[in-house]
Amino acid sequence: MHLTQSQFSLWMGQKLNPDVPLYNMAHVFTIFGIVEVENFKNAFQHLIENSDALRTVFYEKDDQPYQHVLNTVDYNMENFDFSDYTELQIHDWVKERSQKNFDLSQVLFDSVLLKVADTKFKWFLNIHHLITDATSSTILYEFMCSFYNNLKADQHEILEPIPTFESYVTFESNNLISEKSDTARSFWKEKVDVLKSPISLYGKKGDYKTTKSNRVIINLDKNRLDKLNTVAQQPNIRSWTKDLTLFNIFCTILFVYVKRVSAQNKIVIGTPSHNRLTKKFKKTPGLFVEFFPLIADIESEDTFEEVLASIKIETNNFLKHAQPGMSTPELNKSYNVVLNYINANFSDFNGSPMISEWIHPEHCDPNHYMRCHIYDMDQSGNISVLLDLNESIFNDDLKANVSHHFLTVFDAFLENIKQPIGKFSLLNQQQITSYINDDLESKNNTITILQSIENIVEQYPNAVALQFKDETLTYKGLNKRANQLANYLKNQGVVSEDKIALYNYRNSDYIISVLAVMKLGAVFIPIASDQPSERVGFILSNSNSKLVLTNSDLKKNLIDTKVQILDVSLIRETIQNESSDNLNIKQDLDKLAYVLYTSGSTGNPKGVLISNKALSNYIFWGKEYYDISSKSSFALFTSVGFDLTITSTFLPLVSGGRVVIYKESNSGPDTAVLDVIKDNLVDTIKLTPSHLSLFKDRDLTNSSIEKIIVGGEDFKVSLGKSIKLAFGNRVRIFNEYGPTEATVGCIVSEFNPEKHKESSVPIGKPISNMHAYILDDYKNLVPKGVIGALYLSGNSLADGYLGLDQLSEEKFTENPFVRGQKLYDTGDLARINEHNEYEYLGRVDEQVKLRGYRIELTDIESNLNDIKGVENCAVVLAKSSRVNIAESDVINCTECGLPSNYPNADFDTDGVCHLCNAFKGYKEKANKYFKTEAELQTILTSNKTNNSTYDCLSLLSGGKDSTYILAQLVGMGLKVLAFTLDNGYISEQAKGNIDRIVEKLGVDHVYGTTNHMDEIFVDSLKRHQNVCNGCFKTIYTLSTKIAMEKEIPFIVTGLSRGQFFETRLTEELFWDENLDVTKIDDTILEVRKLYHREEDAVKNLLEVSMFEDDEVFEKVQFVDFYRYSDVSLEDMLIYLDEKVGWLRPTDTGRSTNCLINQVGIYVHKKEKGYSNYSFPYSWDVRLGHKTRDESLEEINEYIDEVEVKRIMEEIGYEESDVFETDEKLVAYYTGDASISVKEIKKQLAKKLPAYMMPANFKFLDEMPLTKNGKVDKKTLRDLNTEQLELETSYVAPRNEIDELVEGVWKDVLRLNKIGIHDNFIALGGHSLAAIRVTSRINEELGMEIPLKQIFNLPTIEEYSNYLENIMIELLDD
Amino acid sequence: MNEIILAYIKEELLNNEIEDDFDENEDLLGSGILDSLGMVQLIAFVEKEFKVEVGPEDMVIENFMTVNHIVNYVEGK
Repeated sequence: MHLTQSQFSLWMGQKLNPDVPLYNMAHVFTIFGIVEVENFKNAFQHLIENSDALRTVFYEKDDQPYQHVLNTVDYNMENFDFSDYTELQIHDWVKERSQKNFDLSQVLFDSVLLKVADTKFKWFLNIHHLITDATSSTILYEFMCSFYNNLKADQHEILEPIPTFESYVTFESNNLISEKSDTARSFWKEKVDVLKSPISLYGKKGDYKTTKSNRVIINLDKNRLDKLNTVAQQPNIRSWTKDLTLFNIFCTILFVYVKRVSAQNKIVIGTPSHNRLTKKFKKTPGLFVEFFPLIADIESEDTFEEVLASIKIETNNFLKHAQPGMSTPELNKSYNVVLNYINANFSDFNGSPMISEWIHPEHCDPNHYMRCHIYDMDQSGNISVLLDLNESIFNDDLKANVSHHFLTVFDAFLENIKQPIGKFSLLNQQQITSYINDDLESKNNTITILQSIENIVEQYPNAVALQFKDETLTYKGLNKRANQLANYLKNQGVVSEDKIALYNYRNSDYIISVLAVMKLGAVFIPIASDQPSERVGFILSNSNSKLVLTNSDLKKNLIDTKVQILDVSLIRETIQNESSDNLNIKQDLDKLAYVLYTSGSTGNPKGVLISNKALSNYIFWGKEYYDISSKSSFALFTSVGFDLTITSTFLPLVSGGRVVIYKESNSGPDTAVLDVIKDNLVDTIKLTPSHLSLFKDRDLTNSSIEKIIVGGEDFKVSLGKSIKLAFGNRVRIFNEYGPTEATVGCIVSEFNPEKHKESSVPIGKPISNMHAYILDDYKNLVPKGVIGALYLSGNSLADGYLGLDQLSEEKFTENPFVRGQKLYDTGDLARINEHNEYEYLGRVDEQVKLRGYRIELTDIESNLNDIKGVENCAVVLAKSSRVNIAESDVINCTECGLPSNYPNADFDTDGVCHLCNAFKGYKEKANKYFKTEAELQTILTSNKTNNSTYDCLSLLSGGKDSTYILAQLVGMGLKVLAFTLDNGYISEQAKGNIDRIVEKLGVDHVYGTTNHMDEIFVDSLKRHQNVCNGCFKTIYTLSTKIAMEKEIPFIVTGLSRGQFFETRLTEELFWDENLDVTKIDDTILEVRKLYHREEDAVKNLLEVSMFEDDEVFEKVQFVDFYRYSDVSLEDMLIYLDEKVGWLRPTDTGRSTNCLINQVGIYVHKKEKGYSNYSFPYSWDVRLGHKTRDESLEEINEYIDEVEVKRIMEEIGYEESDVFETDEKLVAYYTGDASISVKEIKKQLAKKLPAYMMPANFKFLDEMPLTKNGKVDKKTLRDLNTEQLELETSYVAPRNEIDELVEGVWKDVLRLNKIGIHDNFIALGGHSLAAIRVTSRINEELGMEIPLKQIFNLPTIEEYSNYLENIMIELLDD
Repeated sequence: MNEIILAYIKEELLNNEIEDDFDENEDLLGSGILDSLGMVQLIAFVEKEFKVEVGPEDMVIENFMTVNHIVNYVEGK
């Protein structure tokens, strides 16, 4: 007999965890009275004889499980006298006994009677869940009572037979094929389709492997129970039955609890349906329960009452669709929190009082992170909440807090169901206090940065302070120049607190200007040289600057300003007459040090006010933390308008160290970072991760750099690892977090590859005198681990925004935890991990970080909106779909070697990839495609009567595979013409092989060539990120031409079986129940026709007119040799060695005979992350033609980058941007379609710096909106790079057919969103994709749409109109 | 309609302990004649038998307390 759905999933679970008692259901029934032992044992034997569930065992046949009911079971029930045992001893015995592992092929229960005292007995009954459930336990208990009673009364006949579980198995099977079940099935499928990410409790990701779980018991006291009962009777709360009401209430509480400790809004919880639908089943022991998910969308503002109302509806839906057999592995994977409402009713034991206890086996399903049992055993009304907590999520710390958090939600519900579920705090006062342990003003600084630098001047007058190109300045010299400039400015009327803009390049004048302004007690405003003049103008007027200090080259950008301009490069001579003494103007920690402008949401930048106190707090902390001394040297090479540059500006100067300045170029990108590396002069650098990524593949083991501080954006562990590697693990890397509003950096960590295993490096812990809080929507502290918004407080906070009082008040509020302090809302999301480090997790709002630049998208949008003709617009930061995994973290399929960074790769728990697993399902069918060498001979000799000089043309690359073919063909007695494409990069030795072979075999041979090879390579690299595609098409084109001319009927190719699956065979072709190989051949021929007509360099540059006519495909047929030959690599090599004299080329440095193919591998790896050989080789392994090790060895072969770059230059291929182009800004707009992107860019460039300029602009007929009427940015972000290049605008699917087609396209093309006007080919749809799309649509609709239609009707709109017409026609017939 | 519903309940859904002597005014849930899952089966039966669709919002005591309530509800659809 087969298993029910529920049994099957438990059987799988047990099989995956064979030695763990995770499904033991043990009960102890304590009976207060005398139990007659023999009668009891006999009664149990009766129970076994009458319940088929208890006699069920399991076995496997052909990897499938079955169940079998034994006719008889002779069970010798044990009994012990534990009268001498203490309670604890008995408890330990029960605990140990309940963890016994059952052998599924033997009886699955364990029953023992314990005498504890003369009038007190305990019945221990442990049954495997496969044959029982909670209701089943009560049924068995009731029957046991009655059997025992009967035996006592000498009544041996069974009065009431126990119904069989077998009838339920049949019932479920029938239900599965019923009409009603289709509705239920699609209901559940749709339901879980909307789920995106699994619930993460306390921010943790479980491992789905651990079974160990701990039970925490919460007994609800009388006060709570009374309140609960009162609430449960309210008409607005009440459901159909009291149990359903309580279920809905606890469900609401659990949903809210999960929402609060996951910070997610879409919550899913699994819960069992009891499935005992008929009178008979209510009396049947066995496993009936089946789990289904409940899903609710919950916002913090929702009240308990509102949540309950939606839960009631959800429960109704659940009840309606939870039908026997409807659960699937997919449904069961959708939740990791379980609610189990148990109202098992055990009556007394024939008049003797009885208390039942359910024993936790200390293990549970590894997919269940939390099981919440609401347990009213014996229906006493004393409800307990039992929480089974999986150890992979809940450590001891957390376990202690869970009951508190759960009860807090419970109490809040009872207290006021009209309150928002996010409003109350989950933490108690003690937990809040422990969160905020440090005193905020523990280490107060008493001096300003300037005072510190002036002290250093005294201490190290002759040490080099500053180095810029050929110029060096000692501390004394620097101080002198700064004093002279300060005195000059003083004479110009500059006084304390005046604002002085510094619009300059990075040079010594800039540093001197900064110090001079500080010496005057004035405020400096750094403005980077690359800012557009309108933006500079805005800053000058907005800040009310008294003066702008600038450079001769930049002065021209300051045309319209009324602010006085001073060219510091011109007055160098003049100021030498000024006094060089310190000015000794009073320094005030509370006064401003600088104003830094950052992107603002209104379209204009906003000035952040930084006091001396804040600056000192950061700089003096940094000096100590980074251990900066007079021996340190820093590079100043990042934009001065960027607050991370403050570190490089001041840290060395307050330490007596050296600043080495690198000027930016006057135009074009700032590549100073490369000079820093080349010059090798400094030991410490501060930069963004984007900048740092430029060092990735270099050999920097001899670099002088010892410390790297990164800041400004998310720092990936993969990058950290690569950098450590590049520096030979010698370098320390620090990750600093901090918005400009909290002065450069206020949370910091040191990167530790041993410890940091997530994708991003944590930002670490707050610096001295700073607090960081993670708060929820209602500004409650969240429990540790939970994601929330990051708020900052302490000495480093800015004084607000210049002239923007309202915004300042919004962003800087009163600190509710420390009186008198301000609290800054960073708008960042964060959590605290188990090492107590903060982790940065993205933005709450519209602010983005691109290459370290902080950008308000609304800043760009409002400027874009100002352009005439733009009606509505939206700017998004689009991410590439590329999978970013550090090379060292890539895993390979344990069977075929497919790397984990292959798109959509999915590995099962054994590390086997989805392709291998899927292939197991159609392997046998796929084998039918392959044939024998005899069949090949028949085909090739079939045309022998023809007049042709040659029987076939054989493609010869000079490699082992094609050489073998040629020899075999000659061996068959065929007249063969060998053809080789000389692509200009065949190795000399390979050519030697070719010449030797053709001579030895005595066949004619021709080389094909074309002048367009370089263009074809470049096109192929751009189109396919490899060179092989272009080369192959050239070979096919040129060889077909020769075959046509010489009337050769066959061309024999040397494609490997793996390459078949890469280029033409797809899973979909083998879906058909009755596989027809001719149909596959027809499809492949269709694809070949399309292939030759696809637009690319080959089609445009070579003579291809012959392909316009289908005739060519009849006259010249392609035959894949390895479709007919299954020769092993070993046999092939022996044959080649003995018969042909083939030698492996050694002059390519690789296993190939082509020198250019590594360019393809390099480009593919760089742009897609993995080698282009990964996929076809995985197929070679899967098909048994290579071993996994051979394949991995070839894929990981060394690539000579110098040679790659040389060839790239030779063929004229330009590599893309030096920066990794993982993210870019994309602007979407509606309005006047006729305004050109060029015009928009021109207008925007006046207002925005280059880093804020969107990379793409896309016109939309209509802006996609969410159901709330907001611009649907998610949809916009999901449009991918290729789609952005398209001329068409995004239009969403119009109807179900559009959606069906879009769904299939999305799957096959691996896109997130496709507009109905997007072109299939432009989206990257090639012939293989065409097969897949067509097969899937045919399968889905039961049609036979010809393959070519996708190219004739290449948009969703056209294709779906066509489908619709066919359907209408079919209906009319 | 009354009879059809009553007959279905008595034949298919009734718990053993309950006397099958009740009428269209009996509180189906309150008196323990049906549990929640039984009620849902009854609803499925009503949907099929009388060609109506009962949305989850309609699945409330007010519509399904007694057989009479059910008849009123179905007739009101």
